[in-house]
Amino acid sequence: MVLETLKKIEEAVKNRPQELAEARKKGEKVVGWFNYNIPEEIIHALGLIPVRLGTGGNDKLVEIGSRYISEKNCVYTRELVGLFEQNKDPYIINSDLVAIDATCLQTYKVGELIKYYFKVNTLILPIPRNFYQPEAHEYFEKELEFFTQKLEEFAGNKLDTNKLAESIKLYKNIRKAVKDLYKYQAADKSPIKWREVFGVVHAGNYLDREQYLSLLQELLKELKEKHGKPEIGSLNGDVRIFLAGSIIPPRDTKLINIIEEVGGRIVGDDLWSGLNSFLDLNIKEPSIKGVAEAYINRVPHAAQHYPLSLETDRRLNNMKQLIGEFKAQGVIYHTLRFCDPFTFNANETHDVFKKEDIPFLEIHTEYSGSDVEAIRTRTGAFLELIKNKNI
Amino acid sequence: MTKKIDNNKPAFAGVDVGSLTAKSVIVLNGTIAGYSLIPTSLNSEQSGLTALQKALEVAKLTRDDVKYIVATGYGRISAPYANKTVTEITCHGRGAHYLHPNTRTIIDMGGQDCKAIRLDKDGNVTDFAMNDKCAAGTGRFLEVMANVFKVKLDDLGPLALKAKEIVPMSSTCTVFAESETVSLLARGEKPENIIKGIHHAIAHRVSGMFSRVGIESDVFFSGGVAKNVGMKAALEEVLKAKIVAPEYDPQLVGALGAAVLAKNYGSKV
Repeated sequence: MVLETLKKIEEAVKNRPQELAEARKKGEKVVGWFNYNIPEEIIHALGLIPVRLGTGGNDKLVEIGSRYISEKNCVYTRELVGLFEQNKDPYIINSDLVAIDATCLQTYKVGELIKYYFKVNTLILPIPRNFYQPEAHEYFEKELEFFTQKLEEFAGNKLDTNKLAESIKLYKNIRKAVKDLYKYQAADKSPIKWREVFGVVHAGNYLDREQYLSLLQELLKELKEKHGKPEIGSLNGDVRIFLAGSIIPPRDTKLINIIEEVGGRIVGDDLWSGLNSFLDLNIKEPSIKGVAEAYINRVPHAAQHYPLSLETDRRLNNMKQLIGEFKAQGVIYHTLRFCDPFTFNANETHDVFKKEDIPFLEIHTEYSGSDVEAIRTRTGAFLELIKNKNI
Repeated sequence: MTKKIDNNKPAFAGVDVGSLTAKSVIVLNGTIAGYSLIPTSLNSEQSGLTALQKALEVAKLTRDDVKYIVATGYGRISAPYANKTVTEITCHGRGAHYLHPNTRTIIDMGGQDCKAIRLDKDGNVTDFAMNDKCAAGTGRFLEVMANVFKVKLDDLGPLALKAKEIVPMSSTCTVFAESETVSLLARGEKPENIIKGIHHAIAHRVSGMFSRVGIESDVFFSGGVAKNVGMKAALEEVLKAKIVAPEYDPQLVGALGAAVLAKNYGSKV
């Protein structure tokens, strides 16, 4: 049974490209963005329409992207280049400006390439590598000031404190609603699957943000009416999987399909295209400084500087906390070939979880279909490892 | 006369349809009653059925005598004859544990993949790693190499043991290793020394998988490549671990594990 609000969200996404085209005809401007640390609050407060760009799982686009960058760049970045080369994605077509932050350096470099090859109007937000030094905070604040100035020039108006405060409140509510939604998907006899929630998160890449919040709240209301309070009591024989690692963008369903086909139930993630973007982002004051501080203090992306020790590694601690919260029984750590930030730490992450007796499987893949059966075997064996002890 | 099933002593079957060979093992009264090993044809379902039939013939049993069948290997997805499918990783664990209960680590080198598997004392898989997207360390790789030296696959291992020194092989990519071998032969290097170099290159690659899952004695070597004495020697040297020689055909370990699981599942039905 599909939830009524999910149908509405699907319909809203279908209509969104047309809405954006019409808004632009009326003089509104769309800012497409990709990577991890672009503060949408500022884009929104300036009256611009934010849209998060990027898809995955399309080997043809990867092949097109490979004509411009090395085959030893990750498939996600190659697909991004392919998307801009083809210029058929409705959100790329409708972006008047493309903002890119320099969190993942390969993804950031795509920003340079699309400007060079396809004359895309781009704006870069540099990111400090080491977030633990005071100088990094000062640097990021200055960069965000410059980024905002450029956005102001593009928008033709100045950032207003009251409007920024309203945008901050809106995004805070969106984040809370998404976090609540994740609680439902992990619950006993849940009427909503993780896969559907992941789809709802991606709908938020595109939809008008006020409309999105309203749909999220409607969905939560429907879930509350149909299911009551989300609780995780019995595990019901499910093999509960936590999905981590490299980005899984919209349309990249290969690993998700396999996990479900071999009988796994995904109950949470720490993907930067999933839940992570909605965690631990507390803007304390409606100012550039307030926004910069909040973004610099959020759960770091794997590409960001390594912490002082494993014990203080916020990315790992965040994973552990979510695994506990969602009562996951094993971690599938997805790494895309040549996605350095996540592959570099894969062994170490494996060791950390092994010490805690949490089963951990790294799936190293790309978008081609040639490894589907090998991944099915690994994933199946991993589920057997969790489920079939002492048969 | 068809042997009727004795409900107290039913037979259980494991069928392992791999990329190059299909294997079946029949377990009866807790012992191995029959087995078979045939080349995999294009029709993996038929290969599994033929292997099962041949193993039953050896055991002097019929399909009616089999209470439960577990299929494994890449062909498990086309095994409607099986009661259950289980991955080859779990099956190799069970098979190795059955043959040698002290097994804690398995090196499985099959036709198209290579696995490092860790077991607990009960034969449960606790961790594993698998080669991805590369034929290095597989039976197929060694077949290509045997072809380059114009020797039988079975002769490759004994030739490696005759080597006086190791000619380092820099590539474990099947295509590049083939061209590197041709260059080394043209340079006048002795074939047995090159062959030893090839085995060592594979062993080093396999050791990379163990850096992920760790290694603990006893180490058990399964899969078709385990029949290669040169590979066993190279692995022992590189991994610095004594490898247990199974008394049973190492190529049948997956099918045996499937049969053991069939007995465990089937006994509960």
